[in-house]
Amino acid sequence: MIRRVLGFSPVVAAGLVSVAAAEGDVAYGEYLASECTTCHLLGATEATGGVPLITGWDAETFVLILKDFKTGVRDNAAMELVTARLGEEEMAALAAYFAQAE
Amino acid sequence: MTNRRTVLRGLAAAGGLLAAPAVLADGHGKPRVVVIGGGSGGATAARYLAKDSGGALDVTLVEPSRTYFTCYFSNLYLGGFQDMKDLGHTYGTLAGAHGVNVVHDWAVDVDRDAKTVALAGGAVLPYDKLILSPGIDFVDGAVPGWDVSKQNKMPHAYKAGSQTELLKAQLEAMPEGGTFAMVAPPNPYRCPPGPYERVSMVAHMLKARNPTAKILIVDPKEKFSKQGLFEEGWQAHYAGMIDRIGPDFGGDAVSVDPEAMTVDIDGSVEQVDVCNVIPAMKAGRIADMAGVTDGRWAPVNAADMSSKVDADVYVLGDAAQQGDMPKSGFSANSQAKVCANAVRGALTGSRVFPARFSNTCWSLISTEDGVKVGATYEATPEKIAKVDGFISQTGEDSALRKATYEESLGWYAGIVSDMFGV
Repeated sequence: MIRRVLGFSPVVAAGLVSVAAAEGDVAYGEYLASECTTCHLLGATEATGGVPLITGWDAETFVLILKDFKTGVRDNAAMELVTARLGEEEMAALAAYFAQAE
Repeated sequence: MTNRRTVLRGLAAAGGLLAAPAVLADGHGKPRVVVIGGGSGGATAARYLAKDSGGALDVTLVEPSRTYFTCYFSNLYLGGFQDMKDLGHTYGTLAGAHGVNVVHDWAVDVDRDAKTVALAGGAVLPYDKLILSPGIDFVDGAVPGWDVSKQNKMPHAYKAGSQTELLKAQLEAMPEGGTFAMVAPPNPYRCPPGPYERVSMVAHMLKARNPTAKILIVDPKEKFSKQGLFEEGWQAHYAGMIDRIGPDFGGDAVSVDPEAMTVDIDGSVEQVDVCNVIPAMKAGRIADMAGVTDGRWAPVNAADMSSKVDADVYVLGDAAQQGDMPKSGFSANSQAKVCANAVRGALTGSRVFPARFSNTCWSLISTEDGVKVGATYEATPEKIAKVDGFISQTGEDSALRKATYEESLGWYAGIVSDMFGV
């Protein structure tokens, strides 16, 4: 309803995103990152429990680690599940966002 | 309302991708969002709306409690793994750092024609968008003999805080070799593994303090969440302590007498020492009063969590009837972020991204023996639909179970930071 009123269908939104995907769309990454921040702390200097901090990593490393979970090289059921539906565009966006996040 | 919709249709016709604020000042300043309920759904929605809109939205959070105690990890308090004070969270950062107008009052009515919320204290809050995240209430008469006036004799402890502390005190005072009974709820209810994690934590506590004590679960359900994992753990850690009576043996025909401390299971009367009654649940009452429920829950559209009956009202978390997601704090938090993105887009013209949801529920069975179940979800025209999932396996080694428990500690720190701010 809301999207129809505004003309912002998911298809249109996805189209907008893909334009900026190559360099990693920070705004899209920030939205996607909200799935991560249920467990991974922002604004912290040390991790709590068994969930690492993921802010400030360089983008290339970030994407490589996501791919390791996606392909099962790294082993964690929750991370394997989350990365299963991340494509190149989503990984680049997340990496771009977390690289500059604190 | 009609005027603004007419204006919006005009805007849409003139060019749907106009980035101008969709709700322009019509006699007031910034677009107003009122959020009712400051738990996993409501606190998250308020925080993301305020944080991401950079002051472009007027966000009010209505929550009666000044300190919110999470239901998640309250079982670990019963087991002795958490302090109650660490489960309590306040709203100062939402107000101070994010600019949310935190109103500690009860919402007592919603007028969807006037687009206002009435508070018990007498104030009336106008809204452009209303987000309801009221959690659960109990169904009247669900367990004959029990009502809220009896909750000190037979606590529910399913809204965390004083009820949880009461249940723990009763368990600690239980006579040697006594019986703890749990009347488990029918589906759907908040936190599907919650009652069984509670049994595990009570068993852990009793094994140390009162090892001849017995636990009796009276359950209307044939099956329950993570059943194989819990039953394996109960056999390994608490052999002979826990009995469960399912619907085949009267678990679906239960009444209680809180004065006599008896549980009647299809005509067979059991004397018990502590009784935890977890009644059938429904959406928090304000959802009913807002007229957005159909039966016990409030049906929503999966794409943005908007009510099926009012596009300016959204329902999050336990109260929502959304499809495949379990009623959990993690789910509510996930839904809140999709909703906040959509609401902000509708009110300010910011980018709206496709809905994506996820959930993971960790449970502790014994010391460092953690298990988890999780899934990803997407919005379909009909419902929030499961995409893929995982569950811990029976027979896992202790190192993996310890890592799973430690992961739950990290998740707890993460979600409360995501809800209440840092």
